[in-house]
Amino acid sequence: MEKRLAEFEAAGVRPVAISVDAPEVSRNLANKAGYTFPILSDPDAVAIRRYYILHPEGGPDGHDIARPAEFLVDSSKIVRWTNFTEDIRVRARADQMLAAAKKLR
Amino acid sequence: MPDAIERRKNVAPWWGLLFAIGAIGCNAPFFVSPPPWQGTLPWLSLLFVVLALIFLVTGLRRAFGQVQVYRGKVLSVVLTVIALVPVGLAAFVFVSARRLPSSTAAPQIGQKAPDFTLSDTLGRPVSLDQLLAPASSSSSSVSSPESRAPKAVLLIFYRGYW
Repeated sequence: MEKRLAEFEAAGVRPVAISVDAPEVSRNLANKAGYTFPILSDPDAVAIRRYYILHPEGGPDGHDIARPAEFLVDSSKIVRWTNFTEDIRVRARADQMLAAAKKLR
Repeated sequence: MPDAIERRKNVAPWWGLLFAIGAIGCNAPFFVSPPPWQGTLPWLSLLFVVLALIFLVTGLRRAFGQVQVYRGKVLSVVLTVIALVPVGLAAFVFVSARRLPSSTAAPQIGQKAPDFTLSDTLGRPVSLDQLLAPASSSSSSVSSPESRAPKAVLLIFYRGYW
């Protein structure tokens, strides 16, 4: 993802990662992995609920988390592309997301 | 009981163990960036589980049902017990990895994306509107020339707990 960030920027798309992790947890992740795109914290799953992608008690300690999901949202806040995996082992691929990004105009 | 002919080696349990290891191996995090065919790995894992079980059962039936033909009573039991650990684990992972809530209520293509305001890694509030606005001092790349508003944002919701 980070390696392709320039390509996303060229396509005019800003990737944003969101999870229930606390800001400091995400900060550690970003520092360790070298991520420079924004990572947002939704500890109470407010946005996650608003997007109807809550996975109740899906976390390792029975916490509510997000099911993996990707939304491409354009400047008028219209959803232009989505991806919902049916298996947490099958992750969204950067190419897949870039292809969707490049289709925007 | 005649022992005129030497009894055959019972290799089926070994195949069972091999497929059992293969089944769990399919779940190993091989890829930093997943390949396009990553979606087949869970199914390959399931196939290996089934094959492992077939070979293990075959091995036991040969060892205990065809005593005159096959050797390896003890070995088939030992290998089956060992192999059942990865088989059970792979089957469990297959079920639990796919136990995801439906996404049918989520915003679909053409629908409006709900607004939100969440904290970034420094605890600063960031809204969807801000994400769609020109990059000001949002990230470390202050010096980068592209301060135009993005055409879109790609919201990547992930499970967390990394």
